[in-house]
Formats: sequence, C-alpha cells, structure tokens
Amino acid sequence: MTGSTPESDADHLDNDALAELQDVMEDEFELLIRTFVTDSRERIHTLRQALADADADALAKAAHSFKGSSINIGAPKLGALCLALERAGKAGELSGAADRIDGIDAEFAIVVAELETLMAR
Amino acid sequence: MAIETRVTDDGDTLVICIEGRFDFSTHQAFRDAYEQGNAGVTRYRIDLADATYLDSSALGMLLLLRDYAGGDSARISIENCNRDVRRILSISNFEQLFAIQ
Amino acid sequence: MSLPPLRILIAEDSTSDRSILRRMLIRLGHEVIEAADGVAAVAAFQETTPDIVLLDALMPRMDGMEAARRMRALAGERLVPLIFLTSLTDAADLARCLDAGGDDFLTKPYNRVIIDAKLNAFRRMQRMHDTLSEQRDLIHARNQQLVDEQAVAKQVFDNVAHSGCLDAPNIHYHASPQSIFNGDVLFATPRPDGGLVVFLGDFTGHGLPAAIGAMPVAEIFYGMAGKGFGGAEILREMNQKLCRILPTGRFCCGAMIEVDFKAGQVRAWNGGLPDGWVLGGGRTPQPIRSRFLPLGILPADRFDGEMEALRVRPGDQVLLMTDGVLDCVDDAGNVFGEAGVREALADKEGPPFERLLAAASGFSADAASSDDLTLFALDVTDDAGWTRGLADTVGPSALTGPLDWRCEYELQGQSLADFNPLPLLLHLCLEVPGLRPSSGEIYTLLSEMYNNALEHGILGLPSHWKRNPDGFGHYYAERQRRLQSVGNHRVRFALQHEGTAQGGRLRIACEDSGEGFDVAAVLGSLSDDGRVSEPAYAGRGLLLLKRLTTDLSFHQNGNRVEIVYDWKHT
Repeated sequence: MTGSTPESDADHLDNDALAELQDVMEDEFELLIRTFVTDSRERIHTLRQALADADADALAKAAHSFKGSSINIGAPKLGALCLALERAGKAGELSGAADRIDGIDAEFAIVVAELETLMAR
Repeated sequence: MAIETRVTDDGDTLVICIEGRFDFSTHQAFRDAYEQGNAGVTRYRIDLADATYLDSSALGMLLLLRDYAGGDSARISIENCNRDVRRILSISNFEQLFAIQ
Repeated sequence: MSLPPLRILIAEDSTSDRSILRRMLIRLGHEVIEAADGVAAVAAFQETTPDIVLLDALMPRMDGMEAARRMRALAGERLVPLIFLTSLTDAADLARCLDAGGDDFLTKPYNRVIIDAKLNAFRRMQRMHDTLSEQRDLIHARNQQLVDEQAVAKQVFDNVAHSGCLDAPNIHYHASPQSIFNGDVLFATPRPDGGLVVFLGDFTGHGLPAAIGAMPVAEIFYGMAGKGFGGAEILREMNQKLCRILPTGRFCCGAMIEVDFKAGQVRAWNGGLPDGWVLGGGRTPQPIRSRFLPLGILPADRFDGEMEALRVRPGDQVLLMTDGVLDCVDDAGNVFGEAGVREALADKEGPPFERLLAAASGFSADAASSDDLTLFALDVTDDAGWTRGLADTVGPSALTGPLDWRCEYELQGQSLADFNPLPLLLHLCLEVPGLRPSSGEIYTLLSEMYNNALEHGILGLPSHWKRNPDGFGHYYAERQRRLQSVGNHRVRFALQHEGTAQGGRLRIACEDSGEGFDVAAVLGSLSDDGRVSEPAYAGRGLLLLKRLTTDLSFHQNGNRVEIVYDWKHT
C-alpha cells in the first residue's frame, strides 16, 4: 500500500448503515443481501464482457449501476472502486480497466465474506 | 396616475394635484384625498397641470366631490388644464358647475 | 401519520436498491408500484396514475430522462412530482437532472428520514396546486355565470336601446354590435302631428351599470312623444328621472332633435355629446354644439331643455354621434378627434354618413374600437316623404275605455304661456279605444285648433310669416315674446264623445278670448280645389281641418271653432 487514496481509506462495510438497513428491511434483510450478491456477480461478468468488447460506454454504465447498489448496501470501498472505473470508462481509458475490474472483484469477495459473517450472527 | 394633496397655509383650501391619467383607476385615491380629515377646509382646488387624460369617470368623480363639498354651495376650482382636458370639460359644460381656469 | 398515503411509482433497475426503497416507503405508510425499466415505468404510470414518481436516471430500454418526459406529457395538467434516484456526486450532474425536468433528486444511500421529509414537502406543494386549480375553476364558473347573466341583460337592453322607427328609409345608423355592451341608446319615433323626434344617449361607463338607466328613459321618451309632448318637456322628464335613479357621478350625455318636415325646421338640444351637424346643399355645415350639462346632473329647477332652431331643406342630412367616433385610435396612438370628423365631412364625395363611418373605421387600429360608437343620420325629406304614422310604433294598449263622456278644459292667463294642454286633451280622447288608431289625426285636429286660437286669435300673429322659410324663426321668436305679456286671455276646449251604431262621434269645440276674424272672407278665399290666395288668416290649417272632419263650423265672431269627427268599428 503506497500512501492513502480515497479507495483505501474507505471501509469494506459501513456497520451503522447496515444496522439501519436491517431495521428497515426486517425479515427481508437476508433476501436483500442474497439479491445483492447474485446481481453483483452478474455485474462483474458484464464489466468483463464490456472490456472484452472494448465498449467504454457499456463499461461506464455497468460500473455506475454497481456503484449505486454498493453504496446502498453499505459497502463504501466497493462503491469508490466502481466510481473510479466509471470515470475511466467515461474518459474512454480502457488501458487500466482490467486491473480495476480485478480490484473490484477482490473487494467484492471481502464484502461477501463480511456480509455472511454478519448474517451468521 | 398619482395624487398629491396639501392644505394651504391658511388652512382654508385643499389642493389636489393629479398626475397622469385621471380615470377610473384613480377612483379610490381621489376619494380618500378629499374625505380624509380635512376639517376646516372650505374650498377645493383641483390642479390638472400634470394630468394627461380625463374621461367620463373622472367627470363623475368631480361630481362626487361637489356633492361631498355641499352641492350648490361647494367652492371648487379646476386649474391648469391642458388643451385636451379643457375641451372635455367644455363639451360637458362643466364650467356651469365648477370654476375652470 | 394523519396524512393519507401516497401512491408512489418506483422505477429502478437494480433489484436490491428497489427492494430497499420499497421497504422504506411501505414503512412510511405509502402504496408502492414498481417498475424495472423506463418502458415499464411509463406503462405503469399510465395505468396506475401515481401521486409521485421516483426514478433512476440511467435505466435500460429507456433512460430516466426520456421516461420523465413521457410521464409529464401523460400527466397533463396534474402536478406529479418526479424525483430522480441517483448516485451522482457531481453538482453539475445533479443540476442536469433538474434541468431535464426532474423536480428533485434522492441520492444513494437512501435515507428514510430524508425521503419522508421530501415526500411531505411535495405533498404540500400538490395541495397548494390543487387548491389553486379548484379556485381557478370556481372563478371560471362564477365568471361564466356573470357573463351569462349579462347576456340576458343585454338582450333586454337591446330590445329597448335601438328601437322605434329606426328602420325608416331615410334614417341611417351604426350602433355597436351585440358583443359590446356600451350603454349607448338611440330612440326615434314619429310625432302625432307629423315629424320625428330622436334621442341619442351615452350613459357613463360600460356594461350593466351604463345600460340600466336606459330602461326608464326609453319608457319616458316613447310615452311622452306618443302623447305629443315636445322635446323640451321630454328632456326635462328624462333628466328628472335620471337625477332620481342614478348615483351621483353617473349621468347621460345626450342629444335630442325634433324634426318638423312641414316647416323645414330642426330643433336641437345637445348636453355633453360631440357636435352634431346639419349638412347639405353646398352650404357651410352647421354644428349642433353641446351647450348644456348631461342628463342626470341638474335638479329640475335648474334644468334647461331649451332647443335651438335650425333651418333644413329636403336633401340635407342631420348627423349625431357619440364620442366613440372621436375616440377611434390608429396604430400610432393618434385619435380621430374633431379634426377627423371635420375632414371627413369636408370631403364632398358621397353621402356624409357613409363617408364619416368609413373614415372612422379606416382610421382605427382595430375593429373593436371602431365598433364602440354610435352614429346617426337623418335624410331630410319634404313632408310627403315622411310617411310613418304613430300607429306603426306605438303598441296597442290592453285597456278598454269610456264611450259616452264630455269635458271642458280652460287655460287662462299665464298658464297659456307656460303650459301645453295638448297631451292631456289627446290622452282624454285616446281613452276611447276606437280613436287610438287615429291618434295622429286627433292630435293634428287639437293642435291646429289650439294654435289657431292661441297664435292667431289671441297673440295676433299673422300666419303668412310661416310660409316664408326664414319667417319661421321670426314667427316663433315673436310668439315667445308676445306670450310673456298675454294678460287675461283664455282658451277653452269642450270635448264630447258618444257611441254610434257604426262606431263613435267626437265633437271638439275650441274658443278663444281674442277679437275673432272675418269668417266669410277667409272661407270665400278658399277655392274649391283647395288652393289658397293671400288672406291674413289662411293656411293649410283650415284645409286640414276640413279634410279630416265630417263637419267644420265657425261661431260667434270666428273665435269659436267646432269640429265633428266620426270613426267606424273595423
């Protein structure tokens, strides 16, 4: 880790936000998490496909969408990584995109693990 | 349309100056001008130097003032009329009811 | 929550985000409809008519902006707030949402406190909008009611305002169309002794307040003119009525003309209208100037109805107009004014009425202002050209009346100077239903007998002055002068009526306290074919009496005349 970037300062999960979400969703909380996880796996797939097609616009849109649901679920770091990818896509910079997608994938794995720990409690 | 009033130094005469169009929109302001607390006023001067236009509702307002001021015993003069205003007053023969200068 | 729930449409493609929002809204007590893309959103909007829409800016199949546009179109006049759901962080991007037609935005992560506050804010706005719409509709309905009422009032007014014998061939007029309720009136009616009387009036203001004074004034005009009252008397009555019923500050500018076709004379009175004109024969136009205050201002004891006399010849035109003619305005804001009228009348081409009307209409910037005026013109004809009779315009009365009666009426001294007995005497005669169709003739008989008695018998005015066109003015001036020192003279009428098998018989006797005249000499000078040669007491008067009556006789020293008038059942 070389110095602090906005992405590195953010948490994997915002526990306060999640608590709030649990309160709102009540018995639908688990379903929500499952839905998020499933949809997100699809989104990552869409990102890789967009890159393979060299479609910067599709890339940016998918990143934007992923960003939104990540923020809502309370995964700020994941959201920040998606924002960065979205900006790159809008700027047409596909060169670093593969690395960024890997980063998102990795962060996502962490988030999933932490969410499962939460639900086990 | 604007209305300005003042009382002469001897407290005897109420001067009402009318600027712009003297028409139906002037109605309430004109009435307020002569009705409001001018105790001791026995004469009225209507100064039309800056009046641009006079219509039949203005004539009606002058009649209302005359009625308020005592009818036949009212002392009202209308002054400084421009040519058009003078003509309107003349066609209606209002000099038979008011002193027009 | 005491407020009723809202129906909220959510358009969001992320399932998880949509679930969160749905839960939040349901827990706030609202009804939720969901759509996963733009197309579904628009369809759901149309089907469910939500109160508020929350929509994601970026969606597949149709993005939020386009969906918003379509929903707005579907909503029409209804206020449906559109709130964009966004994770946009850039201020410029957020602003663009609002520019695109959104009313607000909600950023992710969704916060239920903020959502609740925003929904309530929009609910208040909707309520205000609904109140405004309701009030606007209420105002519209009330206004429509007033318009409808005024239309009815206008119909009543129109039956009164332009009436009488205005359709005579030698009368031309232009009055405002149905759409303009300007309170101008134009009355015209034949006089019982021949001739015509016309009144043009311009009540202050517009609409109902202006028009309402017209009703009683019309009744007075037609009632009195039909009975044979003169113009001055009618004006006096109208003025008094208006003084009584109109509020201070409201009045009626008006002009009256009495046309005597036989004498070639117009008597005119103008109180507050622009100059009228007498035109014709290459002579300088004579103005009929406003010399008096409008009607409804002066009390009876100060009112002056004196009419000025003007000479006219067949072929002349008499013009009257309201100030609407002078007030016509062109594109540059100039007024037509007196100058415009003079110019139009100075031009010799074509009849003056058409010329003036064309000039005023042509001058006006828009048709509406050139329609808000009344213009009247009368072609002066000789007596034969004026063929209208009073029976044409005076409606039949429903009353029955006495057949057998007698009456004596005597006027003495100063009352001879001040009072005209003819309307009263005519009224007595017209109590007999069978005589009503002949009111013109009866009036003529009474009038001829009375004028002979008063003017020739008592005042000693020679009638040949009247035959000379310019002598007319002199005659009437002298009549006025001599009346002031009439002294102890009197005129007595004796009227008697009886029913007969065929109808009825009216006898009228008129006696004056003058010196009388040489009856034989006068009657002898009338040749059988009715032509007259130069006697002192001569004239159409006697011929007329002979023609209209069954019998005509002179008694005493010529200062008692008796006639017999028969009528038949129809």
